[in-house]
Amino acid sequence: MLLFACDRSDQQIKVYRVSKAPLDATLSADATMPTNASSPSSLPLAAPLTPITAIIPPNWEPQPLSQMRQASFLVHGENGAVADISFVTLGPSAGNILDNVNRWLAQLAQPPIAADKLAGTVQQLPTARGDIAIVDITGQPENGDSSKDGRIIGAIASDEGRIAFFKMRGNSALVGAQKENFLKWVSSSRGANSPVSTTDLATPPANSDKPQIKWEVPPGWSPAATSAMRYASFTSETNGEKADISVVTFAGDGGSDADNVNRWRQQIGLPPAEASALNSMMVPVRAGEISFSTVDMAGATARVVAGWTRHDGRVWFFKLTGPKTVVEQEKPKFVKFLQSVRF
Amino acid sequence: MLRKFVDLITSLKLTIICLAAAMALIFAGTIAQVHLGIHEAQQRYFQSLFVWWPPEGRGFKIPIFPGGHLIGAVLLINLIAAHAKRFHWAWRKLGIHLTHAGLIIMLAGGLFTDLFAVESHMRLSGGDTRNYSEDSRLMELAVIDTTDPELDQVTAIPEAVLRRSRTIEHGSLPFQIIVRNFFQNSRLHMLSEAGSAARPIANQGPGAQIAVEAAPRATGVDDRDIMSVAIEIVPIEFASGTALPPLGTWLVSDALGAPQTFSCAGRSWQIALRPARYYKPYSVTLQKFTHERYAGTEIPKDFSSRVTLIDPERSVNRDILIYMNHPLRYRGETFYQAGFEKDDQTTILQVVHNPTFIAPYIACIVVAAGLLVQFGYHLVGFSKRRRTALA
Repeated sequence: MLLFACDRSDQQIKVYRVSKAPLDATLSADATMPTNASSPSSLPLAAPLTPITAIIPPNWEPQPLSQMRQASFLVHGENGAVADISFVTLGPSAGNILDNVNRWLAQLAQPPIAADKLAGTVQQLPTARGDIAIVDITGQPENGDSSKDGRIIGAIASDEGRIAFFKMRGNSALVGAQKENFLKWVSSSRGANSPVSTTDLATPPANSDKPQIKWEVPPGWSPAATSAMRYASFTSETNGEKADISVVTFAGDGGSDADNVNRWRQQIGLPPAEASALNSMMVPVRAGEISFSTVDMAGATARVVAGWTRHDGRVWFFKLTGPKTVVEQEKPKFVKFLQSVRF
Repeated sequence: MLRKFVDLITSLKLTIICLAAAMALIFAGTIAQVHLGIHEAQQRYFQSLFVWWPPEGRGFKIPIFPGGHLIGAVLLINLIAAHAKRFHWAWRKLGIHLTHAGLIIMLAGGLFTDLFAVESHMRLSGGDTRNYSEDSRLMELAVIDTTDPELDQVTAIPEAVLRRSRTIEHGSLPFQIIVRNFFQNSRLHMLSEAGSAARPIANQGPGAQIAVEAAPRATGVDDRDIMSVAIEIVPIEFASGTALPPLGTWLVSDALGAPQTFSCAGRSWQIALRPARYYKPYSVTLQKFTHERYAGTEIPKDFSSRVTLIDPERSVNRDILIYMNHPLRYRGETFYQAGFEKDDQTTILQVVHNPTFIAPYIACIVVAAGLLVQFGYHLVGFSKRRRTALA
C-alpha cells in the first residue's frame, strides 16, 4: 500500500486525444471522448454502426460525424434560424417510444405524457424499413434561444434489434418548413440489410473505425511501440545502428507538401528548400493503384526517406529515418514496403 | 532477533503508542489548519508518511513525526499480527474475532480511500454537455497539438511534475519545457499598473505585459491558489536530440483565460494551465437546474439538477434527477448535488470515484455484529449463572 502511495497517477504525464467537434447535448458524448490511444486503432467504437443511405435535401449542410452520429446536418433559415438534424442508432436499452418521447418533451420543458396519450402524439410513417414512429413537439426551454430551439420532430424505427433515431431540433418555424424534407429523408433511408439504391451520405467517417490499410513488412524489420501520433512503427538494426520506420495518418490533407518536406529537412539539420526545387526532389512511386510521392534527403549525420499519399480523406506518411549508413541499406526494403501498400 | 521483531509488532504497547501518536497528530494537524488551510494540513499531516520540518533557510527537510499513512499502516499491521498470533478459535470468541475483523476492514478501507479516491467537480450551465470533471485543487499544464483538423492531442502535465521538474521532456512533444518560475499562489498585475520596478517573467503572449507577484497559500475552505508558471519552450533537433534555440518564454496561469498558441516542428500548439481533468466514457447534459427557496427568504429549500446521461458504449440514454441525498451512481462514480452559482443557472455536481466506498458500511456492520455476539454471549452466561444461583 505504501508503494502504491508513491506511484500516484496524479503525478504522471498523460497523453490522450479529443475531438474538436462540440459535444452533442442530446445524442452522444463520444465526440470528445479521450482515447488515451497509441494509434487510431484504439479509438473506442461506441456502438456497431448501421449503414444508412438516404436522399439528402440540397440545403442541408453535412457536419462532422461522431461515433454515434452516423449522419449530421445543419440547415439555416432567415434571421439566424438554425435546425440540427441527426441520425443515430442505439441498443435495445435506449428505451421504448414513450421513454424517448418524454425525454424529448423534457428537453423542450414540456411535461411528460402517459402511455395512454402516446397514440395521440405519435403518428406512424410507412417506409421501406417498416413503420416509423413520428413525433412533432414544440416548447421553449427556460432561457432557450428561439432561433435555435423550440421544436423537435423525431422519428424512431426498430432496425435489426437496434433503435434508430432521426431527429430535427431547432427554430420552430424553420423545423416546420423543413418537415417535408425531413420526412422524405426518413422515408428514403435504408437499414443495414437493405439494398443501397439511393445517394450515399457524402460525409466522411470522422471517428469511425481504424482506417483500412494493408502492407507487407520486409524481413528484418521488428514492430516497435506505437505512440499517440503513430499508426505503426518498425525498427531495423544494422551493426548496432537503428533505423526508425513510422507510419502516421491524419484526416484531411495533412498540410502542403512543401511544409512537410521542409519540416523533415529541419529535423535532419537541412535548410528549407526553395519552392522551385521541391518538385524536382519528389519522386513518384507506384503501389498498385496508389501513387506515392517520395523524397530522399540526407543531412550531416541523419537521412530521411519519406513517402506519402492521400486516400479517402486521409493522408498517410511513411518515413524511414536514421543514420546515413543504415538508411542506405534499408531504403530498398522501404520502397518495397511502400509498393506493398493496399487500401 | 525474529522473535523480538514479532514481539514488537504484536505488542499492545505498540498499539497504545500508535493511538497516542494518532491523537497527537490529529491535534497538531487541526491546529495547523489555521495557517495552512484544511487541504494543505491534510496533505502534510494525514496523507503522508512523515510530518516534515524545513529548517529556516535550508534546502532540506527533516521528518519530525510519523504521518497519518505511517501510523495507520503500523496500526493495521499491529492489529493483524497481534490477532494472528493470539488467534484461537472458539465459539465464545466469535464476537472478538468479528470486532477485530471489522476494525481491520475499517482501517484498510480508510487507507485505500485515502490513496485511491478522487474527488472532482462538474460545472454545468443549462444545456451544457460535459464528458469530464475537473479537480478543484490540482492543476495541469495542457499542451495541445491542434494540427489535426479533427483531433487534438493533449499532453497533460500535472502540477506535481511542474513543481519538481526543472526540465520536462516527453515523447509526444518535439520540444523541452523548462520551468523558469513556479508560483503556487500568485497575483497578476498589468505591467502598466505594477510600478516601474516590475518586470515580466515571460517574453511571449500576454505574459509579456504582466507582472507576477508571489502570494501566500490560500487557507480558506473555499479559497483557491492562483497558480502561475513561466515556461520556456526549447525545440529539440530531431536527428540528434540536441536542443535548438528557445522559442521564448510564456506565462501560463489559472488567472489567464484563453489558451496561448505557438508553432513548433511544423505543428500548431496550444498551452494552458487549467484544473486537472478526468475524462469519462459517457457524457452528462444539464437539462434543467431548479433552486427553490423558503417563501420570503433566501434560504435554499431544495435544489436539483435534471441531467441526461448518455453512454454510447453501453447504449444508455436516460434522464436522471440529482438532488440532496439522491446522487447519481454510475460506472463507479457518484454525482452529488454539491452547489450552484449565484445566477441560479449553473449547477455544481461533486463527482466522487471511491473504489472502497463500501468498506465503512461493511466494517460497521461487522463490528456491530461482533459486539452484539460478544455482549449477547456474556448476557446469556450471566443470566444462566443468576438463574442457577437463585435456584
